[in-house]
Amino acid sequence: MLTEGQVVVHESLGDEEQRLRRLVLKGPIARTAHAGQFVAIQVQDSSIASFDPLLRRPISIAGISSERDEITLLYRIQGRGTEILARAKCGERLSVMGPLGKGFSLPEKGELWLVAGGIGIFPLYPLAQSALAQGLTVRLFWGGENKSFLESAGLSSWKDLGIPLQLSTLDGSLGQTGLVTEQAQELLEKSTASGGQIRAAACGPKKMMQAVTELFKNYKVSVEVSLEERMGCAVGACLGCVCTLIDEAGVLIHRKVCQDGPVFRGEEVVWDESC
Amino acid sequence: MSPVNLSTQLAGITLRNPILTCSGTYGFGEEYVAYCPLEALGGITLKGITPLPRLGNPVPRLAETPAGLLNAVGLENPGLEEFLKSYLPKVRKLPTAAIANISGFSLEDYVLLARALQKDSGLAALEVNISCPNVKHGGMHFGTDPQSAQEVIAAVKAETDLPVIAKLSPNVTDIVGMAHAVQLGGADALSLINTLLGMHIDINHQRPVLANTFGGLSGPAIRPVAVRMVWQVFQAVDLPIIGMGGITTWQDAVEFMLAGATAVSIGTGNFVNPLAPLEILQGIQDYCEKRGLASVHDLVGLAHRA
Ligand SMILES: Cc1cc2nc3c(=O)[nH]c(=O)nc-3n(C[C@H](O)[C@H](O)[C@H](O)COP(=O)(O)OP(=O)(O)OC[C@H]3O[C@@H](n4cnc5c(N)ncnc54)[C@H](O)[C@@H]3O)c2cc1C
Ligand SMILES: Cc1cc2nc3c(=O)[nH]c(=O)nc-3n(C[C@H](O)[C@H](O)[C@H](O)COP(=O)(O)O)c2cc1C
Ligand code: FES
Repeated sequence: MLTEGQVVVHESLGDEEQRLRRLVLKGPIARTAHAGQFVAIQVQDSSIASFDPLLRRPISIAGISSERDEITLLYRIQGRGTEILARAKCGERLSVMGPLGKGFSLPEKGELWLVAGGIGIFPLYPLAQSALAQGLTVRLFWGGENKSFLESAGLSSWKDLGIPLQLSTLDGSLGQTGLVTEQAQELLEKSTASGGQIRAAACGPKKMMQAVTELFKNYKVSVEVSLEERMGCAVGACLGCVCTLIDEAGVLIHRKVCQDGPVFRGEEVVWDESC
Repeated sequence: MSPVNLSTQLAGITLRNPILTCSGTYGFGEEYVAYCPLEALGGITLKGITPLPRLGNPVPRLAETPAGLLNAVGLENPGLEEFLKSYLPKVRKLPTAAIANISGFSLEDYVLLARALQKDSGLAALEVNISCPNVKHGGMHFGTDPQSAQEVIAAVKAETDLPVIAKLSPNVTDIVGMAHAVQLGGADALSLINTLLGMHIDINHQRPVLANTFGGLSGPAIRPVAVRMVWQVFQAVDLPIIGMGGITTWQDAVEFMLAGATAVSIGTGNFVNPLAPLEILQGIQDYCEKRGLASVHDLVGLAHRA
């Protein structure tokens, strides 16, 4: 769907140093959106024709309110495109394509473990909400750079969900020092030994998602991961955004992150960069 | 006032209107269905195919540049057999003309593809890509050497009863010489232009952004080069031209037609605005109406008047 989203909230998120923004757009996308899907957003007002930057930017849907026809996007100012986006004012209309791609799936019952690295946390919030609404037990492992980052990137709304949170920071300023995987391992050991039915969803840096997939595989817990790639069309037409998977027959195949993903089963992803 | 006649004759085929989409930017036709009604288009050009399946280049395959896009997809495609089996049946059902795009690494590759694609396949025409810059030892030498270009077009022409469109590379010093060569080879029409070879270096990592190092530049950044080439070829060669390269608005499309394009094709512009083909068609129509032109064809080459 190609729509015009009207900016209803656009604000800095937490500590300004973190360069995070919260953008709420009004429009029909909320009605069909699922956790893990994304939008391709034009970074300047759609009434002004401008071709620099040329391409839309892919941003995950971080909040869905179908009653209010609103989606929330949370993003980090990363470069020129997001810098320009950050200037959009309330009332402005931005051209948005979406909801795009295939999102996360939910198990029927049991536990859903969420594993996030950095801003990979953003698409996991609506997933946690749907999982809780469906009566699943949800738990979050989240690693970030430091306390300021975790607090800016929405820690308090996660606390509001009332689920167990296992936090880690690189500098130890909040939670444990180190990587999320170290935290998850101990609990995996215990939970799987007692026969718990667990599924996991991970989003973050590639290396982290690879480590999560490999660790969880040892405990026979399957993980869905959300991949990122540079995008052109965002609808599967240009083959700019492929990732490499290994199919059941052991053959390497390409899939489009924008259309077949961004969510894939971790076990089928070939993490080697050279493919 | 009577409505503007949009119907466009090209290489012996009749298109509903002069708006096409570019190979490699519109998949095999299905991807944009939810965004742009295909029945409103003159036609679409399918992703380039080769005899054997290709996985293409590693990622990153795309890099954005000022008003432009570098791509190094590397001709990823399912190969001829799979195209005929899984894609062609769906393509035949599309509510618009479909032009296949073929690429090869040798004369035999082109011959094999042309032989398999005839009028009874339901395709409207065959576009021969002699110019893909993203593949090492790829079609490039066909695209830069007039003699080889003539041979490859002649060989394709001898194998298929479909109209043959030669797609030229802008990475040459003499575009007119190339156009003459493919005309001698028997081309029924020309597509101008493919992407311009370029590169982008990430100064933080001090490395090329594209895994393939080089890529083909498309988008508004290349438009003036494309318009110039259409202009020169229109003056020198008597074949219909499909103009492409950076078309994103109706004004761009009108510019190409004034330079000598019989039809226009939209590529990277779809990524920016999936409704671009429709808006461009409407814009051309309004422009003709305002200027009192009865047919879009009256625009073709109009800027060449003394
Ligand atoms: C499916 C998906 C979901 C995403 N969700 C979010 C999100 O919720 N919040 C968020 O902050 N960021 C998200 N990103 C990353 C975001 O798209 C990039 O940070 C953004 O495009 C950078 O644009 P820029 O012009 O500011 O930066 P620049 O670095 O100047 O971008 C230059 C070019 O590189 C591309 N690019 C740069 N970084 C990335 C990247 N990591 N992934 C893909 N393309 C990139 C840009 O699209 C652009 O074409 C997501 C990416 C994908 C693929
Ligand atoms: C992602 C991408 C893939 C492309 N693949 C092909 C291809 O397979 N065959 C071909 O002849 N041209 C290919 N092209 C070139 C386009 O068809 C077109 O000639 C060029 O992009 C200029 O038009 P534009 O600026 O409107 O995109 C590709 C272009 C892009 C951006
Ligand atoms: S971005 Fe074009 S295929 Fe995914």
